[in-house]
Amino acid sequence: MTARPVLRAVAGGVTRRKVQTFVIGLVLLASSSAAVLALALLVDSTAPFDHAFAAQHGAHVVATVDPAGATPGELAATRRLPEVTAAAGPFGEVTVALKQAGLPLPPTTLAGRASPGGPLDDLTLQSGHWAQRPGQMVLSSDPSPGTNTSMPLGTRLTVTGVPGTRTLTIVGIASSVNSSADGWVLPGEIAKLRTPPIPAAAQMLYRFADAGSAAAVRADVAAVTRALPRGTVTGTQSYLAVRAEASSNIAPFVPFVVAFAALGLVMSVLIVTNVVSGAVVAGYRRIGILKSIGFSPGQVVAAYTAQAGVPAVAGCLGGVVLGNVLAAPVLGQAANVYGVGSLRVPAWVDAAVPVAMCALVGIAALLPALRAGRLSAVQAIAAGRAPRQGRGYAAHRLLGRLPLPRPVTIGLAAPFARPTRTAVTLVAVLLGVTAVTLAVGLSASLNRLANGLSLASTVQVQVTVPSAVPGGPPVAPVPGRGGPPVHLPTPAAAERAVTTALQKQPGTARYIGLDAGQMVSVAGLSRQVALTAFRGDARWIGYAMVSGHWYTGPGQVDVASGFLNATGKVVGDTITINVGGKQITARIVGQVFNVDNNGLGMFTDWRTLVGAERGLEPDQYDVGLRPGTSPAAYARALGVSPAYGASVAGADATLPLVLGLIGTLTLLLAVVAGLGVLNTVVLHTRERVHDLGVFKAIGMTPRQTIAMVVCWVAGTGLLAGVIAVPAGIVLHHHVLPAMGAAANVALPASFLRVYGGAEMVALALAGLVIAVAGALIPAGWAAKTGTAAALRTE
Amino acid sequence: MDALIRVSQVTKRYDNDGRPAVDNISLELAPGEAVAVMGPSGSGKSTLLNLIAGLDRPTSGTVTVAGERVDKLSETGLARFRRSRIGMIFQFFNLLDDLTVEDNVLLPAQLAGMHRSRARARADELLAALRIDRYRNAYPGRLSGGERQRVAIARALVNRPELLVADEPTGALDTATGEQIGRLLQDLNSSGQSLVLVTHNPDLAARYASRTVHIVDGRLAELGVRR
Repeated sequence: MTARPVLRAVAGGVTRRKVQTFVIGLVLLASSSAAVLALALLVDSTAPFDHAFAAQHGAHVVATVDPAGATPGELAATRRLPEVTAAAGPFGEVTVALKQAGLPLPPTTLAGRASPGGPLDDLTLQSGHWAQRPGQMVLSSDPSPGTNTSMPLGTRLTVTGVPGTRTLTIVGIASSVNSSADGWVLPGEIAKLRTPPIPAAAQMLYRFADAGSAAAVRADVAAVTRALPRGTVTGTQSYLAVRAEASSNIAPFVPFVVAFAALGLVMSVLIVTNVVSGAVVAGYRRIGILKSIGFSPGQVVAAYTAQAGVPAVAGCLGGVVLGNVLAAPVLGQAANVYGVGSLRVPAWVDAAVPVAMCALVGIAALLPALRAGRLSAVQAIAAGRAPRQGRGYAAHRLLGRLPLPRPVTIGLAAPFARPTRTAVTLVAVLLGVTAVTLAVGLSASLNRLANGLSLASTVQVQVTVPSAVPGGPPVAPVPGRGGPPVHLPTPAAAERAVTTALQKQPGTARYIGLDAGQMVSVAGLSRQVALTAFRGDARWIGYAMVSGHWYTGPGQVDVASGFLNATGKVVGDTITINVGGKQITARIVGQVFNVDNNGLGMFTDWRTLVGAERGLEPDQYDVGLRPGTSPAAYARALGVSPAYGASVAGADATLPLVLGLIGTLTLLLAVVAGLGVLNTVVLHTRERVHDLGVFKAIGMTPRQTIAMVVCWVAGTGLLAGVIAVPAGIVLHHHVLPAMGAAANVALPASFLRVYGGAEMVALALAGLVIAVAGALIPAGWAAKTGTAAALRTE
Repeated sequence: MDALIRVSQVTKRYDNDGRPAVDNISLELAPGEAVAVMGPSGSGKSTLLNLIAGLDRPTSGTVTVAGERVDKLSETGLARFRRSRIGMIFQFFNLLDDLTVEDNVLLPAQLAGMHRSRARARADELLAALRIDRYRNAYPGRLSGGERQRVAIARALVNRPELLVADEPTGALDTATGEQIGRLLQDLNSSGQSLVLVTHNPDLAARYASRTVHIVDGRLAELGVRR
């Protein structure tokens, strides 16, 4: 086989068919970038913590040490222990009480670091900059529960309990794969932030040769502890605990990310197959001409495979670059959702995607090229001129009878001439709309889920009452919230103070006192259960019910699904609760959606416990506000007294991140589906360019031309939408329970019933929108095509 | 009487460097006249026809048809002009293979928004007049060349255009069929239909046109005398 004519044919085909070359390149660019992103998401979702741990040089153990107990030399010597492969520190550590706009925050652990980098626990700066001077603080993106993670850069926090007035300004947000601190300041700041009676502390980070199991980590910690003077190591945190926590947090989100990634991969493969095989089929006439001038079947196959290959390779390589660029923010979003510092595109994905895509292009081009190679020259020319005779004629005849404008009916009949191409386009749009349907459903469900967890729509403010022995020593007014030590009022006085304060506030709509999260034991269960007892009717709080009903009187309890899973009990069973050494029996009347204490939660009426506990007093008040009342202003107005502290009930900070990720992935899939449509319309336009000339010659206006071309795919898009909506709903009904199962929580049926009639109609129209959006550009090209030039096209 | 077509100093270039396809041509056609445009291959006769029919735009000069400055019309204006004032007949018929004979004929009327019953009545009238009504439900692929050209003529006439333009209308037909089509065009002209006919065939031009214009290398070689 002589190569020169083949190369010339390839060069001629690539340069002469600029639109086809451009479309193949563009589709491969989009598909490869989508595949890189989808595959990276799939891979990173299998073990996101491990990926982040490796990338950020996570420490196997974060040890808290007393720097007064060991010299710097002794601490440094631990690096040379045989078990230790790397170490970092000591980094000063202090736990401070902070206030934001007058409201106390939970205790915050700060570490002193001169820079985010380091040999271990390499911090990822997500926004802002590192602390450069005293008074600046970098906040962890994944701080301790209860900390407000939505504090923007520039937020000023007041440090309480230290001499003088100290403020810290948030200048950056960073993440630590070890969750080694809630925030970081310059090393010199630590001593100034320490309240004098509290001893100094420092962090030492270690990586060990063998840390694969809890026992191995324990042995490693023992070796370090032995190497230092007794009492120097005051606490340790194993990466295994952080990983277990992270994995349980990550698991619920993996199913939807995997669903989106799988949709993206399938769409990429379909669209590439369609565009490449379509391009080769569109070139049959030229293949016939090449054969008539002496090209052998082998040369034809080589020429046409290479002709598709040249823009495909360029598109693939560009797609890998674009995929990495796109992946940065998307994986960043995923990392935030997963609560790990950062996720990256694995190197093998960058290598595998172009290879796989080029192989796919080769196969997609080879099969029709082989067929063309076997055809005679005359057959190839005839096959390349138009769709097979007779196909779609009946559709034209039937649709022509509809009382619709003729360009519309001609357009609607066009898909029947190319059934395979139409089917592939239909599937591409179908997958796109399925993704949109899934995204809409997930967003609605997750909103309900987040509201079900935070109850933020009904309980906007929480008032906490300190529990202490009246007449005892002075203590902080609200544990862990700072402020000068005070004598606490009696529980009865505290209750009077709180209720009086709440009743005085004009924004109060309703409130209820409760004994929140008292740990109790239940017969047959080794772990403790968090029991919440409400003083009054708490139905207005709106706990979402999975099954059964909210308690209606004493002796009835509602439990979370984790409790039922752990005990094997079902709604209707009776349980024995040990409260304060006394046993009470209660009947389970409902399964409530709650994940506190790993789902081991129980809710009941105050009166259920009256016989078991004396002096039961509320330690918390849940407050619902009147519409239009600002929770922050309300909490500030309520103020802080020795009797109570008020805080704004926090909404789930993860939800906006998850919704952002869903939105980004959906947009990407819709764009890829739109590109699939664009490809179909371009191929169809090329095939029918002569007919377009005829239409225009007999008086079809540009607007009528656009309408006709858009209708080539509008019917397909509409049909795809109609099929995709139930498909998306089915997927949603599988993905959401899978997310719940991963989190070990049953979901209320109301979380799944999120699709209304109007929404379903709108979603079905999404297929039409994708089809029209994808067709508009080539329709514009078709409308602008010169009539005389189109008529000359064979 | 005002001219139906007035082509004034029209030049058409496809690229800036090369020779113009049509070079500074001026000519007129009176209503009801049948003009044959002749010339060798590549002489620019089809380009001139395209300019008159509003399929292409001149590089310079003016083209006025039925009082409308064709060279000034927008794309939409050109489309409306073509469907209301021009009927086009092509050498290779340019019928749409996936539409029946009747649907092909109806299409320009439907694009023009003609009422369904009126359009159908007009198509019936033309199919009968051109003796192809028995093929109304057939597809063009099943017809002979002559029958296809009759369908194309019916399609060209459905909107009662003021001007019929035909580009080598017998070029793809055998001699006998070509004769039939020629006579058909002549009959149409006799009934008052203005006609511009591009042809290689001097015999066709002599027999069926009242005037013959010769073009060579894009220039008017002979304006012709009305017979």
